[in-house]
Amino acid sequence: MNNILLLEDLPEIRTWLKVLINQVFPQSQIHEAARVHDALELVTAVKFSLALCDLGLPDGSGVDVVAALREQQPECQSVVVTIHDDDDHLFPALQAGAFGYLLKEQARELIAEQLKRMSQGEPPLSPSIARRVISHFASQTRQQERPQNMPHVALTDRENEVLLRVAKGFTLPEIGVQLNLSRHTIADYVKQIYRKLNVSSRAEAALEAQRLGLFRRN
Amino acid sequence: MSNPSGIQQYGEQHGATRAPRGAARRAMAMLLAFVIAALAALLATPAAHAGAAIVTITSVQAAQASNDQFLGEQAPTPLTLPDDWSESRPRFDGLVRYRAEFDRPPGSEPNELLALYIERVCSNVEVFLNGQRIYSGGRMTEPVTRNCHYPQLVTLPSTLLQDQHNTLDLLVRGHALQRVATRQQAGRLSELRIGPQVLLAERQAARGFWNISAVQILAVAIGVLGIVMIVLGWMSRQASYFSYFGWLSLAWALMSLRVWWRDMPWDNGVMEFLFCTAFAPIVALAVQFLLSYADLRSRWIENALALQWVLLPVTLLLGGPARLFGLANAWYVVLAIEVLAAMALYLWVGRRHRRRDFWWMLGILGLACVLVVVELAVQYDLPWPEPLMELPLLQLGVPLLLLGIAARLLRVFARALQAAEASRSTLEHRVREATAEIEHNFAQLAEMRVEQVTEKERKRIAADLHDDLGAKLLTIVHTSESERISTLAREALEEMRLSVRGLTGKPMRLADALADWRAETVLRLSQANIEADWRGPTEETEQLLPARSFVQTTRILREAVSNIIKHSGASHCKVRCAISDRQFGLTVQDNGKGIPMELDGKLDRGHGMASMKHRAKQMQGQCLMESGPGYGTVIRLTLPL
Repeated sequence: MNNILLLEDLPEIRTWLKVLINQVFPQSQIHEAARVHDALELVTAVKFSLALCDLGLPDGSGVDVVAALREQQPECQSVVVTIHDDDDHLFPALQAGAFGYLLKEQARELIAEQLKRMSQGEPPLSPSIARRVISHFASQTRQQERPQNMPHVALTDRENEVLLRVAKGFTLPEIGVQLNLSRHTIADYVKQIYRKLNVSSRAEAALEAQRLGLFRRN
Repeated sequence: MSNPSGIQQYGEQHGATRAPRGAARRAMAMLLAFVIAALAALLATPAAHAGAAIVTITSVQAAQASNDQFLGEQAPTPLTLPDDWSESRPRFDGLVRYRAEFDRPPGSEPNELLALYIERVCSNVEVFLNGQRIYSGGRMTEPVTRNCHYPQLVTLPSTLLQDQHNTLDLLVRGHALQRVATRQQAGRLSELRIGPQVLLAERQAARGFWNISAVQILAVAIGVLGIVMIVLGWMSRQASYFSYFGWLSLAWALMSLRVWWRDMPWDNGVMEFLFCTAFAPIVALAVQFLLSYADLRSRWIENALALQWVLLPVTLLLGGPARLFGLANAWYVVLAIEVLAAMALYLWVGRRHRRRDFWWMLGILGLACVLVVVELAVQYDLPWPEPLMELPLLQLGVPLLLLGIAARLLRVFARALQAAEASRSTLEHRVREATAEIEHNFAQLAEMRVEQVTEKERKRIAADLHDDLGAKLLTIVHTSESERISTLAREALEEMRLSVRGLTGKPMRLADALADWRAETVLRLSQANIEADWRGPTEETEQLLPARSFVQTTRILREAVSNIIKHSGASHCKVRCAISDRQFGLTVQDNGKGIPMELDGKLDRGHGMASMKHRAKQMQGQCLMESGPGYGTVIRLTLPL
């Protein structure tokens, strides 16, 4: 039995999503939450396999829930469900550990398809997100002083190649054809890119906190 | 930004500094010419009239007297003029009667006006001709009129004058050498000359000019100069040498005042004491001037000079009036050594620091050194050419040397002024630059601030729209029973998003925009099972696309792709992008059934063609459509960049 977290403040949309999830994952049990606070409590109590998180919530941002899941339940796949399609909103969520995003206004079938793919390990990657990832890693390698305990996260050549092609506007299936790679291999690369983005972002955040004197050892 | 040496160099090259240098040289040359001409004139004057009918009387009968009664109690003794009391009657202080006999000068007309000319008589004289008093130089008792520097011309009344055996009596009031501060003030009578009044008046004028007028002119000159220098020193406090020099000049000018007034309210003892005492501050100021001009300062020397100022009068007072000359001369040596030492120190420092005015000052101070030595030689009665001894060398020389130094100082001041002016203009220039930079920065900051505020406001509006309108539209999308309404609501949501992004978005790289369009178009077409063939420019371009153009083009492209998916029934779609310097072109072509023509020959409005054209027009571009049943549809979008 899979537990799925559904964090959404609009009741109509929550109901609609619940129906949708039930269709895609008939065996799962859905835990609903309308606030960040409630969701964080659920995260400590229940072990989830999938989480659908809205970003703009009355008492905060769904990014916090994504981060908490990433911290406490690394096995859980977080997906952002949002009305915002711009990477200013999406990128922080991806950095926090989300594995993909769904745009709420999309048709039921489309969302179901994407959800299915994501749960199978095929997260989406848009050109603008790819460009942000590229500049993120570029600025990381530029940073000279790096404490010894900070992991140095670098993308492999293949991952870089995939990112660059996505940034140029090629779709993932097209890249698979161009690089003579299977759909699953490409999906693995993208997943790996997301994971490394999360790890390096956390390292960066810790470094920044240390620099600002906010970091305290327990 | 420019260093001080740069300013210095600028000053060096500047033409204006050449002019004062040339002027200084010219002034020095004129000064030299003036001195040489003066000496030549002085030496030449007696020679010019040597042949004239002038009788020189050198042998006289002389007797000391205690009152002005003509026949003294002491028997007259013969002696030869000039008569220096220090030699003929040492330590005598009082009246001496001189008697000479003379005939009318040969070759003179009977009615010609004759005169007696005494070049030097110290301190005062009364003249009697054949028993009648014909002339008095002033007071004969203390305070005695001081006539030492004034050549005396006495007109001889023709009624009293006989052709032969005229008796000339001179009553001279003089002071013992021991009781005066300088040898020039001691009792003395020079040769007597009798001749035509016109010729002798000329002689008196020439001598009077050098002894009196020249000294007066120079005294006034350096007095004024001194005041100017004091003002300059007061204005520029750091350059204390201006003040020292000013006070030195003024003090010398004041000391020369005694030439002006022959009748002073004090007797000889007081006058000579005051005169000698005046040298202490003058030497102190000279030494201080030289030290400060050499950038040296010593508390010890300052104190010693101050002490000397007190010590000098005290020793003179203790010695008493009878030993004045000896003590004064001892002090002169001490003071001369001090001045010479200060000059040597100044020159040593000037040479070591390679000061620019070293040679000028070497010349001036060399002359000063000669002057001091000569004056000392005069005081100690060392052998010296008579004409030079007759001149008031110190009174003439010192002001001239002070003028020479003043020329130098004024040049230094002018140069400092010039440097200050240059650095002021540099500073002004820099201030202007800094001000411009600050203004520029401020403008940039204000612009950034406006951008920040706008961005913040845009984000707030965007958030509000998403939270409120977006949520409602979403609810409609997912709860509406009607497919048409939910499609409309979805489109409205997309419109809202694009509008928000287009409000004040930053320009986007054209290459990034093309990538976004490609990804979306290819994904949508492939999801609709339509084969997509997108070809764009292969080379990297750095051109930028305004945010508004990006949004509008996205809408046009999205509409076109929607049309293909919904209505065309095409299996293949070709997209071509072309970028030139001025414009950007996008062609979307499908192999579908085309858009049916309406009755009036226009294309179907339901396909959103009108809004696509309208959007293109808003961007000063155009959107052309070609279509026909069975031929598919071609949409050509052209935008200026």
